[in-house]
Amino acid sequence: MKNINWGKYSKPIILVVFIILLSILRPKAFLSLNNFSNVLWSVSVIGIMVSGTIFVFLIGGIDLSIATLCAFSAVVVVEVTHYLGDTPKAVAIGVAAALAVGLLAGLLHGIIITTFHIPAFLVTFATQSIFLGLAMVFTNNKIVSCTVPAFTAIGSRKILGFPMPVYFMIVIAVISWFVLRKTVFGRYVYAVGGNETAAAISGINTRRSAIMCYMISGLTTALGGIVLASMTQQASSSTGAGYTNDVITAGVIGGVSLLGGEGTVTGAIFGAVLMGLLNNGLNLLSVPSTHAGLVKGLVIIVAVAFDAMQHADQSRKKVKKVKKAQA
Amino acid sequence: MKKKVLAILMTAVMVLGMTSIASAARRDEAAEAAAPAGGNSNKVRVDPYAGDEVKIAYIAHDIGTPNNQGWKEGIERECASWSNIKVDSYGAEESAEKQVQIMTDCINQGYNAIILQCSDGTALAPSVKQAEEAGIPVITVNLDCSSSTIHSALVMAVDYDAGRMAAEKMAEQLGEEGQIAIIQGVPGLARTDNLEQGFRDTIANYSGIEIVDAQSASFQKDAAMTVMNSFLQSYPDLKGVFAINDAMAEGAALAAESANKKGEICIWGADGEKDALAMIESGDMAGTIYTNSWDEGSTAAKIALLMIGSEYDYTCLTQTPKVIMEPIVVTAENVDTIAEEDRW
Repeated sequence: MKNINWGKYSKPIILVVFIILLSILRPKAFLSLNNFSNVLWSVSVIGIMVSGTIFVFLIGGIDLSIATLCAFSAVVVVEVTHYLGDTPKAVAIGVAAALAVGLLAGLLHGIIITTFHIPAFLVTFATQSIFLGLAMVFTNNKIVSCTVPAFTAIGSRKILGFPMPVYFMIVIAVISWFVLRKTVFGRYVYAVGGNETAAAISGINTRRSAIMCYMISGLTTALGGIVLASMTQQASSSTGAGYTNDVITAGVIGGVSLLGGEGTVTGAIFGAVLMGLLNNGLNLLSVPSTHAGLVKGLVIIVAVAFDAMQHADQSRKKVKKVKKAQA
Repeated sequence: MKKKVLAILMTAVMVLGMTSIASAARRDEAAEAAAPAGGNSNKVRVDPYAGDEVKIAYIAHDIGTPNNQGWKEGIERECASWSNIKVDSYGAEESAEKQVQIMTDCINQGYNAIILQCSDGTALAPSVKQAEEAGIPVITVNLDCSSSTIHSALVMAVDYDAGRMAAEKMAEQLGEEGQIAIIQGVPGLARTDNLEQGFRDTIANYSGIEIVDAQSASFQKDAAMTVMNSFLQSYPDLKGVFAINDAMAEGAALAAESANKKGEICIWGADGEKDALAMIESGDMAGTIYTNSWDEGSTAAKIALLMIGSEYDYTCLTQTPKVIMEPIVVTAENVDTIAEEDRW
């Protein structure tokens, strides 16, 4: 019993504590399949995005263009669908076009960052306004709505009580987990993020790895944009506003280091779900919006501190062990 | 080499500086020559309808929203027939600081008039004063700058009364009883705060209706869906929702539809944008308070042109004159009376 590694379980523990707390406070409203479906649905777009953007975080990069690339891809899928006559086939082509835009955007980021050695912060800061500009130009700065059933199904069709975006999130997260944990490329990503020079010396093509990471991030961001447009049945230059912060916050809450080399997809999804539960809890408890921000900030600090403490404990134990062995 | 480049740059800067001083001096001379009797001496009277070159700046809080686009198009349409009238539009990306910066730039560029949607009345007040003092009439749209700053005109949609009208009609639709909730925007904006107050004050007259909750969705459609989901979860008997703007009402309607409660909950918005009117037609939404944004923009432009072409300016005023746009209560019964060409 003594050997149970509590640090490993600190994240699930936080979630369970949260769920128990809310169940006691609002048993009727909170404890239902429907509400869990709502919580997962509300974080699904963040979850989809962070599952890809984590690759960029892991190599020590950052992507500030998430929100506007999301808007641009949302605009592309809706405009292409309209242009091709609002048929299910048009929707499919629109989705493909938007995903291609995401991949291209990632490729562009990767090439610029690795070729000119400009910090990712600057490059994505610049492209952020380029994507916003493109979204504005393509829509003539208006909201374009799209109520084609084949398109709205992406965001609202329900299977077994859960809407499609929840399944997207789970599938993307599992793929991302698999790539990071079980493939050579995944190891390269952690290696490059941990120590780029060492990785290069040991024969890893760091440049190619970095470009791949940005492409993955672009792809999931575009997918997030498509899902968001489908959920709201419209696209505009302000689709996804605020998502850059949300995605980065979800990652950081989940223990992803912005310096690179550290973090897991499960952690990032935990971060997203924790934020969703928090918002849901605040709503269900009818906390007025004037107080919501205050409570949210405090709870995040407590949760992250608890998580960090467990990890610190772990490393302290390791040090003790090594010292014992030395003695 | 570096020194040479530096020298060239310095010269360029100096020359530019001189010319701008010279042009400012010329403007002052022109201003003196055209000084009207009694008014502010900085204002240059030009006649937009007689072919004089005129440029108007439109500065929005966030140029992407349907409302802002409606105003922009209204202003542009109003001026389109005169090739000598130029309209430039700027968006402040929802930041009062950026808007102050844009105001300063526009004053320096010598626009003849500025049409402004104040992001923050207090923050923008000094800029508005500065513009008026420089002889540039400022016409505010919907969001006034702080009341002590007198400027050329304010064109606004009703706020408090729009809340009252929505409440009265909603109460009628609900048979004057049931639980309702409010979806709020960002607190602190005069228009939406007044709208909510008008709604609450009126609902208080109906003892059978209870406002059970109020949550913010920051004017966003997707955030409103999340808030609506939690309302449906917490209040199974919820009968009505009032959203402070149409985008959030649309989000609430989508959430209700996804929970198989389409049409069962009386969802109201405010603004009257195209998509909301379509949702009233399809039975997803119960109503909205419609204001013709195109008309509102074109009214602001007309006032701007009147001010540019006249001698009088803000110094003649003891308070900011107002034009209030006609509000129309739209429900399924009369939605067809809003013509396609009036849907922005």
